[in-house]
Amino acid sequence: MGFAAEHDVPIPYMQRTRDYYVRLGYPAYRWAHFADVPFTPLTAPLARLRLALITTAAPYQPGVGDQGPRAPYNAAAKFYTVYSEPTDSTVDLRISHVGYDRTHTTAEDPNTWLPLIQLQHAVKAGRIGALTPRLHGAPTNRSQRVTMERDAPELLRRCREDGADAALLVPS
Amino acid sequence: MSLVARHLEANGIPTVIMGCAKDIVEYCGVPRFLFSDFPLGNSAGRPFDAESQACTLELALRVLESAPGARTTVQSPLRWSDDATWKLDFSNLDRMTPEQIAERRREFDEIKAIAKSKRDAVADL
Repeated sequence: MGFAAEHDVPIPYMQRTRDYYVRLGYPAYRWAHFADVPFTPLTAPLARLRLALITTAAPYQPGVGDQGPRAPYNAAAKFYTVYSEPTDSTVDLRISHVGYDRTHTTAEDPNTWLPLIQLQHAVKAGRIGALTPRLHGAPTNRSQRVTMERDAPELLRRCREDGADAALLVPS
Repeated sequence: MSLVARHLEANGIPTVIMGCAKDIVEYCGVPRFLFSDFPLGNSAGRPFDAESQACTLELALRVLESAPGARTTVQSPLRWSDDATWKLDFSNLDRMTPEQIAERRREFDEIKAIAKSKRDAVADL
């Protein structure tokens, strides 16, 4: 019949992770879940708008262990407050502090988690009006309360300060 | 990241997320989502493949421009591999030996301890 394989579906991460924690003997994690979702339409064509980039990648920190390609999960490389970096140059942001797929990806090419070069191309091509002068880093810790009460408002404040009309968010 | 998108959107800034964890993002509920069916860590496209990265960004921008309402998900047509067996591996204890599971538990305890001490240090500031 030419059907795809049964397992060829988006990975059920919630179920996989739930089973994983239970088997390892840890309490289950409760993911954020809402019935209502906000929506704000764009106010003008993208070519006239200024776009902010928000990432969960972490600035490279000397002295806290391996953060390079194939590095094991490195909790010491985590960050706990919002940071900002300029968007008009290259920045050294890594993902050793998060649970990316270490079996099937090596984290050798930063462009797989940070589309900054592609965004710069899109601005040059006139596809986007501009990038905001800074990109922003969103901490990934397990406290949804801290994310909602402290980090998200701080990111909003910085986006407004930069005159962002819209935002592209890229979890790693 | 979904929580941040929701907060920006609720305060007048339209957002789009590029990501690889479809169930987690959709369960939270976000305005616009470009889903790439790739291993976690490749939200912005395939490694060393500028064409894939450009295509992924362009799709995300089109979702940002044209989503008719909240919870719009578009799936990228790009494939990680012709063979989908990579999807069976992530955090799948059925595919690990008891030694690997014990090692994971040890690692996890260590990670939690380091993260906690760093978090506490920030809280003390």
